[in-house]
Amino acid sequence: MSSTVLPPRRRSGMRRRSARLGWAFASPALLVVAAVMIFPIVFSVIMSANHVQVSGNGFQLSGFTGSNYSILLHAPRFWHDLEFTVLYTVFTVAVEMVLGTLIALVLERLTTGRGWMMALLLMPWALITVVSAELWAYVYNGVYGVLDAFLGDFGVHDLNVLGTPMQASIAMAVADVWKTTPFVAIMVLAGLVMLPSEVVEAARVDGANGWTVFWRIRLPLLRPALAVAVLFRILQAFGLFDLPYVLTNGGPGTSTESLAVLGYKVLFNDLEFGPGAAIAATTALIVLVFCLLFLKVFRTQVGEQED
Amino acid sequence: MTKTSRRAAAAAASAAAVLAFTAACSSSSSTTPAAPAATGSATGTITWFANQFGPTTTDVRKTLIAAFEKAYPGITVKLEQAPSDTDTYRSTLVTQISGGSSSFDVYNGDVTWPAQFAKASLALPLNSYFDQSYWNTFSNGLVSSLSYKGQTYAVPLFTDNAFLFYRKDLLAKAHLPVPTTWEQLQSEAETLQKDNLVKYGFAAQFDSYEGLTCDWTEFAADAGATSVNSDGTSSSIDTAAAQKALTFMRGLITSGVTPSAATTFQEQQSESLFTSGQVAFLRNWTYAYADSNTQGTSKVAGDVGVTNLPTFAGQTGPGYSVTGGWNLYVNPHSKNLAADVDFLKWMTGTQAQTIMAEQGGEIPTVASVLADPQVQASNPAYPVAAKNKLNARPSYVAQYSQVSQAIYTNINAALSGSVSPSAALSSANSQINSALSNSGL
Repeated sequence: MSSTVLPPRRRSGMRRRSARLGWAFASPALLVVAAVMIFPIVFSVIMSANHVQVSGNGFQLSGFTGSNYSILLHAPRFWHDLEFTVLYTVFTVAVEMVLGTLIALVLERLTTGRGWMMALLLMPWALITVVSAELWAYVYNGVYGVLDAFLGDFGVHDLNVLGTPMQASIAMAVADVWKTTPFVAIMVLAGLVMLPSEVVEAARVDGANGWTVFWRIRLPLLRPALAVAVLFRILQAFGLFDLPYVLTNGGPGTSTESLAVLGYKVLFNDLEFGPGAAIAATTALIVLVFCLLFLKVFRTQVGEQED
Repeated sequence: MTKTSRRAAAAAASAAAVLAFTAACSSSSSTTPAAPAATGSATGTITWFANQFGPTTTDVRKTLIAAFEKAYPGITVKLEQAPSDTDTYRSTLVTQISGGSSSFDVYNGDVTWPAQFAKASLALPLNSYFDQSYWNTFSNGLVSSLSYKGQTYAVPLFTDNAFLFYRKDLLAKAHLPVPTTWEQLQSEAETLQKDNLVKYGFAAQFDSYEGLTCDWTEFAADAGATSVNSDGTSSSIDTAAAQKALTFMRGLITSGVTPSAATTFQEQQSESLFTSGQVAFLRNWTYAYADSNTQGTSKVAGDVGVTNLPTFAGQTGPGYSVTGGWNLYVNPHSKNLAADVDFLKWMTGTQAQTIMAEQGGEIPTVASVLADPQVQASNPAYPVAAKNKLNARPSYVAQYSQVSQAIYTNINAALSGSVSPSAALSSANSQINSALSNSGL
């Protein structure tokens, strides 16, 4: 990895010393991280395993219990929201990856105006989600919505886009794809630009056509960039909150209620901090497992490639 | 450490950040301030945490504060702006008060909060500071909605009622009377729509949110149904009467009288449909009268009438209106209780309540003020309000928030047609029961 000039023992001693120095320098920052991240996380995990009573004098934790989790596991609403969140995540991330990669491929070819195109593309991404959700709420509005007026020209009236579970989920996914595809495109474009051109040239010399070059050369080499994009997107999509909060309030019924919306309602409307903390902990655990599994699969594939 | 595993660690850290959102509220202080005694002549500065109410042109809160400070020269009131969204506001209050904050002394709060806030000791019990004659000044039914387990946790600042707003011009054109039953309203609406006088017949708030619990409570009460039994121990929503109410509501949509988009309507969307002249009848709160009769922003200004909500045929009218509105609560950490009590008393007195009615456009909570002919003349909705049959949402249970969610999510699903009325009611029934026994989400 680093210099090979030094003899092994000497090198390890120096490394240890410099590592110690590194920790010393990093410790103030680590302490801040511990205070603002690790303590709250640990505290909410503790809360999720306790009877919690909110009161005028802070939270009263009165004894260990598994009941918060058992409430979750027995609530059909939790399972429904979990199912919705997972399906929504898988679907939107898949669509965004495909569209984002396509856009990145086009952008890479653009010689003039790439900067302008990227600026334009990044506008939805730069918008605050609540704001873009409000824009889409206007598009989808059942009475004076833009989409309704547009469909009216084709003879489709009173569609009430957000009025049925399937339509509302799709409408929400469209708003999500619109907003986050540019992010994926930028990540993939960065990966594309970094690709060594010799490999592609060599393939072309060997007679590979564009299709083969893409599937056999560029896509495998793009894997690291794709993986990072997918990870970011899964983490974000799983925490889906703003879109249902603004667009549907989780409706019709609870059909578009995500885990984050459920957590919010249980914590801040119902003031049920025990079950609320359990929802947060469970959600974090699931998304963590999700990401680790993804990385694992990704790593084995990379391993196969290298063999 | 390989690149990939380092990335895994980063992923783990970011995933854990999802958790951190829970902890935003994890402030814990264990000091209980000794309850200060409310004796002696009060002086000093108190802070009133209040969201905007009344007209947007002049801030009636400031008018009230000025008048109060004139009556109590020793006390200064500082106004602190609270979030306008009710749920956001509640989370702010919970975070602040449970964190031990005394940055405000008196706060505005929704009428549905007393039981929940009482159980979580987020509001100071007030019985010892007011005598019985004080509580007798308020309109019927208001005080019981402020109580939890025998203690009273708030004073009623202003109340709000639901009304039926209708298009006088359309009814005159079609020679139809103002409807007094829901069935009559539906058939009149169909006539108006058939005659191409108006696009839709009736609009209300059928979105999946608290407003639907209000609308539902009214329809259900008209049909003789309740959602929770009177002692708050179990659900009473799965009955034939409730079935009748829900089937009728769904029928409004399937018959085209109510647009199907109403299942995404909150107050503002339903009102804008009315003020743009696209619907004949509207169920809404007091302010809709002034809004819909404002030249320039309303296309139907001058053509709007207001009356009590209808009931179902065969019941004695008028129909029920739920009580909305806001209360004043005292922060248990307040350091100047004597001044707080003076402020609460004055705000619920004749002078403040008259200002509230005449300048704030809000229905006064004091019965004698609402009965005052001069006050009644200031807003055509007030004489109607005086005749309203009031019904409270089941907010006397501490788990009201869960109960209300069980109501509005299931009713909304039935209204949008994704489930049948009977399936929705039976699902609401089991969810209300598990909420009341603290065994569900």
